Amino acid sequence: MLSLKIDRLAVSFPGLAAPVLVVDHLDIAAGSRVALTGGSGSGKSTLINIIAGLERVQAGSVVWGEQDIADVSEGRRDRWRAANIGLVMQEFHLFPGLSALDNILLPARLSRVADADLMKRAESLFATVGLKRPGQHVETMSRGEMQRVAIARALLRSPGVIIADEPTASLDLESGEAVGDLLLSVADSTGSTLIVASHDQHLIGRLDRRLTLSGGRIVADSERKEIAA
Amino acid sequence: MIGFILADLRRLWLGGAVVVLLVALATALGVAVTLQERSLRLGSARAADKFDLVIGAAGSETQLILSSIFLQAAPLPLVDGAVLTRLAADPRVAWAAPVGFGDSFAGYPIVGTTTSLVSNTTPGFAEGKMFALEGEAVLGAAVNLSVGAEIKPMHGSAETGGHTHTEIAYTVVGRLQPTGTPWDRAILVPIQAVWHVHGLGADHEEGHGEGDADAHAGEHQHADGHDHAHEDGEHHGGIDPDAPIVENFGDGLPGVPAILVKPKTIADAYRLRQEYRSGNTLGVFPGEVLTGLYATLGDAKTVLSAVAAGSQGLVAAALMLVTVIHVGQRRRQIGALRAFGAPRASVFAIVWLELFFLVALGVGIGFLLGLGAAHIGARLFTAKSGVILPVGFTGEDLRLALFLMGFAAILAAIPALLAYRQSPAAALRA
Repeated sequence: MLSLKIDRLAVSFPGLAAPVLVVDHLDIAAGSRVALTGGSGSGKSTLINIIAGLERVQAGSVVWGEQDIADVSEGRRDRWRAANIGLVMQEFHLFPGLSALDNILLPARLSRVADADLMKRAESLFATVGLKRPGQHVETMSRGEMQRVAIARALLRSPGVIIADEPTASLDLESGEAVGDLLLSVADSTGSTLIVASHDQHLIGRLDRRLTLSGGRIVADSERKEIAA
Repeated sequence: MIGFILADLRRLWLGGAVVVLLVALATALGVAVTLQERSLRLGSARAADKFDLVIGAAGSETQLILSSIFLQAAPLPLVDGAVLTRLAADPRVAWAAPVGFGDSFAGYPIVGTTTSLVSNTTPGFAEGKMFALEGEAVLGAAVNLSVGAEIKPMHGSAETGGHTHTEIAYTVVGRLQPTGTPWDRAILVPIQAVWHVHGLGADHEEGHGEGDADAHAGEHQHADGHDHAHEDGEHHGGIDPDAPIVENFGDGLPGVPAILVKPKTIADAYRLRQEYRSGNTLGVFPGEVLTGLYATLGDAKTVLSAVAAGSQGLVAAALMLVTVIHVGQRRRQIGALRAFGAPRASVFAIVWLELFFLVALGVGIGFLLGLGAAHIGARLFTAKSGVILPVGFTGEDLRLALFLMGFAAILAAIPALLAYRQSPAAALRA
């Protein structure tokens, strides 16, 4: 439940003359559910990386709640991201050789914040995302199950923001729908701000607001009501 | 974190095992060279420990020591029996004992010497007793014969085509406790018997002209096998197995290859060495000869150590290559770890610990392998020479281990640093 406020953001890569992303102003209210769409090369992934704090902000400001992540060092940005952002990606990035439960707890353990409460939360989340065998090794799971584990991992530290980058793109229709349901329901129940980059029209249609990027700029910003209307 | 590392190593166990094996073999090579050289030095020094001063005829110092202390069969010029007579009477000498060699039995050298040498250089008898008669023999601890056995000496050794003195036999009456020296492989008999076997000194007791014995002694080289006139049978003396042994070393003794001398004080030792370094005799401290040999041994060790260090360097370079490629292949995984909130320090620690653990394990196994190899080498050497080589680690090895660990720590830091510096976004994009 953090709000996002972006001002005069410009991202350019060395060797490219034009900036790959320019956002003069963007406000996202706390607790809202936003879809990001656009073709490849539209700047969608760059925007995701910037707002997730994965990429350094070169120019402009990106303020989550009270925190301008343009101002902080890489180490502090990592810590801030670990505490405030739940990331779900197209590739699940689960670690083979570890059980599902260990995968959920891994980032927290590596950050040395995994206490008894968090372990209990990991187990309850495991049930929340609809899985049954916490000791199962992830490499033996189906892709739909793997994405559920990834969602549980993203939710572990009760992040104020959930950012999902093409969460359904590598899943079949049925699993994709279930994962979409799950994302919406957990965002609802925690009140977290949900930002989903997706091509999945069905999923996009279920979100409140839709931002469309093209050529590194936001070219359309529409509310669901307007679409419905 | 440890759980993650273990899971990772379990998944990549084959590659990990190869890394450990490479490191272990490279380490073992260096360790074995160091241990073997050190044990050779210690073992030979211990073997020479009991012998303060060796006096022989003018010739090679090294050969004198190798023959008299390490019982290496080689022709030695003989020193005049009068020298022994003089030394035995010298007030600065605690004891002086002749050693006569040249015969062997079943591959064991037969050494003629005296009861005082046996009792002064060995810790005592394991069974039986000292020889008291001319036909009696005492076994070194490593001689595979039993008390009561009969020994027919062979002149020279089987390898050099010696012949057997069939008419003579010693009876084994005792076995010594181990000394850890080549003397453990020797069959000790009274020097008097050796003289008599070779037709020397017998005339001394029987009242023949002494000049005759001395003349033969001068030309007689016990270990060289054939060039003296055995064929005529004239010098083929026999022993009287029941004759008591006489060790007062009066006048008219035959020549001997070497005399081992125990001086009463250190000052006496230096004075005696000085006195017997002129003319026809050669006085040598075994220690000084060994020091010269160690310098040569040290050179050889330097070369082998350089080879070992080179192989370790190669392994280190190969490991660098493998780990840098490995980290490159795992960029996405490392990026994902960061993206999901693992701190940079954790990523660094994971990569570093994983590699350091493998290398440290390899170094540990390498030290054990090296120790094992040195032990096997030492055992083979002991079986052949009788010199017990004490194989063991010292502070020097601890320093080597710490150095290797430190090197491993730096080596492991390179891929860890690569992983640390990766931007998670760039890594995930790759």
